[in-house]
Amino acid sequence: MSEQSQFSIRHTRPARAAFALRPLLWIGPAIALIVVVVLTPVVVMIHSSFENIASDGFVVGGAGFSNYKYLWHEPALKGVVFRTLLWVVVVVGVTLVLSLALAQLFNQRFPGRRAARTMLILPWAASVMMTALIYRWALDPYSGAVNIILHALGIVHRMGSTQADWLGSPGWAMFWMMIVAIFVSLPFTTYALLAGLQTVPSEIYEASRVDGASHWQTYRSITLPMLRPAILVATTINVINVFNSFPIIWEMTRGGPGYETSTTTTFMYILKQAFIGESAAMSAVNFLLVIVVVLVFLRVAGWKEQVDQ
Amino acid sequence: MRKRQFGARLAVVAAASAAVAVAAAGTSSASTVKAHAASSDVTLKLVVADYGTGPSNTSLKYWNSMAAAFHKQNPSISVKVTDIPWTNFDSEVQTMIQNKNYPDITEGDYFSAYAQQGLLYSAKQVLSDSANLLPAFKNQGSYKGTQYGLPWTTSSRTLFYNKKLFAKAGIKSAPTTWAAIEADAAKITKLGKIGFGLPLGPEEAQAESLLWFLGDGGGYMNTAGNKWTISSTADVTAFNFLKGMVAAGDTEPDPGTQDRTPLWEKFAAGDVGMINGSPALIPIIQAGKVLSSSQWASVPIAGKNGPLKSTLGVCDNVAAFKPNGHEAQIKAFLNFAYQNKYQLQFDREYDLLPATVSAANALKSDPTFGSFIKALPYSVQYPINTAWAQVKTDIQNTIGTAVTGTPSAVLGQLQSQAQRLGS
Repeated sequence: MSEQSQFSIRHTRPARAAFALRPLLWIGPAIALIVVVVLTPVVVMIHSSFENIASDGFVVGGAGFSNYKYLWHEPALKGVVFRTLLWVVVVVGVTLVLSLALAQLFNQRFPGRRAARTMLILPWAASVMMTALIYRWALDPYSGAVNIILHALGIVHRMGSTQADWLGSPGWAMFWMMIVAIFVSLPFTTYALLAGLQTVPSEIYEASRVDGASHWQTYRSITLPMLRPAILVATTINVINVFNSFPIIWEMTRGGPGYETSTTTTFMYILKQAFIGESAAMSAVNFLLVIVVVLVFLRVAGWKEQVDQ
Repeated sequence: MRKRQFGARLAVVAAASAAVAVAAAGTSSASTVKAHAASSDVTLKLVVADYGTGPSNTSLKYWNSMAAAFHKQNPSISVKVTDIPWTNFDSEVQTMIQNKNYPDITEGDYFSAYAQQGLLYSAKQVLSDSANLLPAFKNQGSYKGTQYGLPWTTSSRTLFYNKKLFAKAGIKSAPTTWAAIEADAAKITKLGKIGFGLPLGPEEAQAESLLWFLGDGGGYMNTAGNKWTISSTADVTAFNFLKGMVAAGDTEPDPGTQDRTPLWEKFAAGDVGMINGSPALIPIIQAGKVLSSSQWASVPIAGKNGPLKSTLGVCDNVAAFKPNGHEAQIKAFLNFAYQNKYQLQFDREYDLLPATVSAANALKSDPTFGSFIKALPYSVQYPINTAWAQVKTDIQNTIGTAVTGTPSAVLGQLQSQAQRLGS
């Protein structure tokens, strides 16, 4: 502190300004990176949502709000938005519940724990696209492994039938895609919660044992509250990831039949083939939607309390 | 200032990719081009799409050998060939035009926008016998009554059927009506195979749908080409029929999610009784090595009450660009390239059909291509409308839901979207 004040006494104004700007030297590159890589595309995206762009990419002129108007009148939009919310809630919810259990399991000492923990990373380490493709082939109506098993069990009556074509009917396709999405989200979530579990001091558990608390009581009134920051972080990141999830849906159904398994992200991509401006409008709405969803979640979860802690 | 920097960077990138393109094409360096220019020689820049499946049959080979033969006859004109994979063709040509790095000739997709901007020579200016170009394809390459897109290679659709499965199911002859298709498909389905392959997924739903519309005298637009007719009674009837077939299980499950290529491969594997196809299906059948040439055949597509008199025909085009001012040289080259010899060589290499009357006549009695050739003069094209590209995308994405949903509602939705985009 004293050094700083000496500095300011001895030096003239420009020098003082230069000193004040000195931190910029260190954080400048990071800020520049954020501006170029994060903010610029956002600005360009929002700008192009107000332009009239021909399907071969030439800008024909301004469009005002007409891209948003067309998007609003898109008959598929309502279903797409509803499906997106369902997709996020189910995938994140189920992932979280399963991860809480898994984290508990992996927090125990048992032989082979290290190997088991490593295996848990695998779905995370594998490319999501690859995982989605494997599931798609496993669900092939004529020769998919899942169908062969279900056929042998007598659940699927005939290979190659409509019943065996899981990805062809919107409801079942969503079901299977959710399974894949949960499968690839588990590792990160489990590890985030596992890290949280390991910060819980063992004295508290000892004290509760001395007081005669049951396992369930301990879990509810000690583990879960202590895990709250970890759950918050894991949920927020998952919500954003799952909301923007593209490869699973794209590789398994391309959002079809029609748009009946599309979420806002894949719908935006399909629109881009011919309606670039409208697609940009969808992106802008998507961006806004994810921000709103996250803000609402943080508010409900009492984000401020967590930070103050 | 910022903008200029960006521009400069773009130019560097473009130059670098151009260098790569030149290196890849394995042609002469910039200095030889200069030498040509000094002796008033001309180098034509020919940009072509690649129809090959790999290095062994790349289109570069075909064009380079033709260019060499041409150069021998016309020593003052050299032809520099750049070939581009189909997936990048549109965007790379667009980039060349935007950067004012004009080709002299392109072969592949044709853009009516360039004719509109006055960048193209007309067919008459660059081909002596332009009447030899198949007249059926004249309209799709025309702008305000003048032909700018010269058809180079074409294909038409026919109904392929598996003779082996037909014999097994006790079917005597190929179907010519919808009723026969339905009956035959049901018999083949009983054998545990797919009766009729119906690809209504995004890959090419607009083609499959049109073939059924035509069977009932329908289509995407009226004959005058000024009104969309996607939700016409004829079109809805066609999809009601298809819906019945799908519900009866006579097609593959959920046709709205099935793309053309995988189904063609299933036909080649002997798992499909009937499917609408183009000559491009033939190499897939041959590569499959399951069906010998006597075990399948192709016939005119079945319609509601009889075989189609006109089927869907598509073509790729040659376009000649004005900005470099090489009219005479382009004409010399195109006159050379459009000889029967080169037309037929190209079509044999890639199992496609010729685009000139004389070459088509030469192939009329060909056992493999004869039926396609006979269909060519009557072929129907997609609408010639500026909104078609967007309408097509809509059709590809949603028309398949008509066979599981309500045909009139799905087609009605497409109709109103098309009307919004432009009649």
